[in-house]
Formats: sequence, C-alpha cells, structure tokens
Amino acid sequence: MKDFIILRIVTKLTIPLILLFGLYVQFHGDYSAGGGFQAGVILASGFILYSVIFGINVAKEVLSQRISKILMGIGVLLFVGVGILGILLGDNFLEYNSLASNTKYGQIIGIFLIEVGVGLTVGNVMILVFYAFNSEKVK
Amino acid sequence: MLIIISIYIMLSRNLFSAVMSTTIFSLICALVFLLLDGVDVSLTEAAVGAGISTILFLSCLRHMDFITKKNTKPIFLHLTLFLFLVITLSYIISDLPEFGKAQANNSYVTNYYLKNTDREIGIPNVVTSVLASYRGFDTLGEVVVIFIAGISVIGILREEYKE
Repeated sequence: MKDFIILRIVTKLTIPLILLFGLYVQFHGDYSAGGGFQAGVILASGFILYSVIFGINVAKEVLSQRISKILMGIGVLLFVGVGILGILLGDNFLEYNSLASNTKYGQIIGIFLIEVGVGLTVGNVMILVFYAFNSEKVK
Repeated sequence: MLIIISIYIMLSRNLFSAVMSTTIFSLICALVFLLLDGVDVSLTEAAVGAGISTILFLSCLRHMDFITKKNTKPIFLHLTLFLFLVITLSYIISDLPEFGKAQANNSYVTNYYLKNTDREIGIPNVVTSVLASYRGFDTLGEVVVIFIAGISVIGILREEYKE
C-alpha cells in the first residue's frame, strides 16, 4: 500500500493524533471516559494502521514481536505486583489505601498503575494477534 | 435496525460484506450506548467492535475464500436448538427488571458507589473507580483472560510465521 500517496500522507498525519488520543484516554481516564482497556485498543489500532500502510516488516522494526511479548507480560505483572504490594504494606490484595500517606493519594496511585498495566497488556495482545495473522508463511 | 443487520449477517454468503455489516452493527451499538449515557461502554464498543475486530476478521479473510458454499446438510437439529434457545431467552427476559427503573433488586450497590466514590477514592469518574478499585479483582481476571487468549493465539499460529 506504500504506493498510494494519499493514503500514506493521511496516515502520517493521523497516526500522531490517534496515539495522542490513546495516551489521553489512558492518563485522563480518572476524570473522563476511558481507561486502560480502551487506551490499549486505541494505541494498538494506531500501530496496526501503520503496519497496514507501510508493511508489517517496517512495523516490526519499530516494535518487534519479542519486545511486544515482554511488554504484554509486564502489564499483567504490574497489575499483580500492585496487588501484592498492598499485601506487603498491610492491606488486602488489590487495596491501595496504604500505597501513600493519604488514602486518597494511595487510591489514585494504585488506580493509575493498574490502568497502565491493563493498557500495556491489552494493546500488546492486539498487536501480537495482528502480527500472528499477517506474517508471511514459512512454506 | 439492529435486528435487520444481524439477520443480514447470518444469511449473507459473502463474508466480506458480513464483516462490514458487523462493523456497522457495532457503530450503531456505540451510538445507542452513547445515547444511554454509557460513555465508557460506547468508547469500548467503538474501539474494539468497530476497529480492532474488523481488522482481525479481515486478516482472517486473507487466508480463506470470501464466498462460503451453500450448506447442503439437513438443518433440522440446528433449527430445533435455535428455537429452544430463543424460547428460553424470551422467557427469561420477563424476569429482568423493567428498563430504566431506579429500584432494581440490587440497586443499593449502585447507590453506595455513587455516594462514597468521592470520599473513599477521590476521583470523579465513578466507572473507573468501580472497575479499578472496588472491583479490582474482576479487572485482574479480565486482564489475565486477555493475556491467556493472546498467548494461545500466538501458540496456535506460531509455526506459520517466520521469526
């Protein structure tokens, strides 16, 4: 699809906006609609748009399968880690009250961290599934 | 409108137009959710239903034919099961609380969340606080399910792609 100049230019213009909107949904989810799940999907769709237009091998140079797999695992580990950190600080599993001096700050930090974990996992799973379906066959 | 589209999706022999119809279905669903003030659900439906799943369906279609063959096997068993399902689900609908009714059986949970989110959590979006804090364990399960699904897809398709 690299030969279509209109598609290429429009993609180049819109991808930063899509990624910015994804980040906005991720980090502003406490105050407006959205959260980690939606943000992960939006970021992944921006990435998939890039690989549809410029070819999947170019996209793999930006974010290889190996790094994507590692990030996918880190997302789940971050979520569970925040939960276990709550236990170590003397609370129940996945309670964030004691993560900071004030319970409200603790809640905000906990929610922020697990949303980042959700976003990482969801986005990278989507990208990896897309890669798996669209890579060249060996034979 | 949604019913017409879903019947079209079932009967369509051209898989490409069926995929496009599911996208339209998702977009209309997103609009309906938006009108019902469920902005978070609407955003999810638009991003997942209309965006990602269309792309994944299309990349599946790359590996197969667009037009399905006409089914020649007898469909009596399927029809019976289908009718049974429809009748059961329609019977259960009468047990659901009335649409938009404030006093459903479990609405005290909703009231608790609405009242105490500001005091206990301190963030304005109640949906996020319910998902991430009050129901954090459910969200953890959700993420693990997605993680396992991703791993299984990679595992199944691993032999097909070059490293």
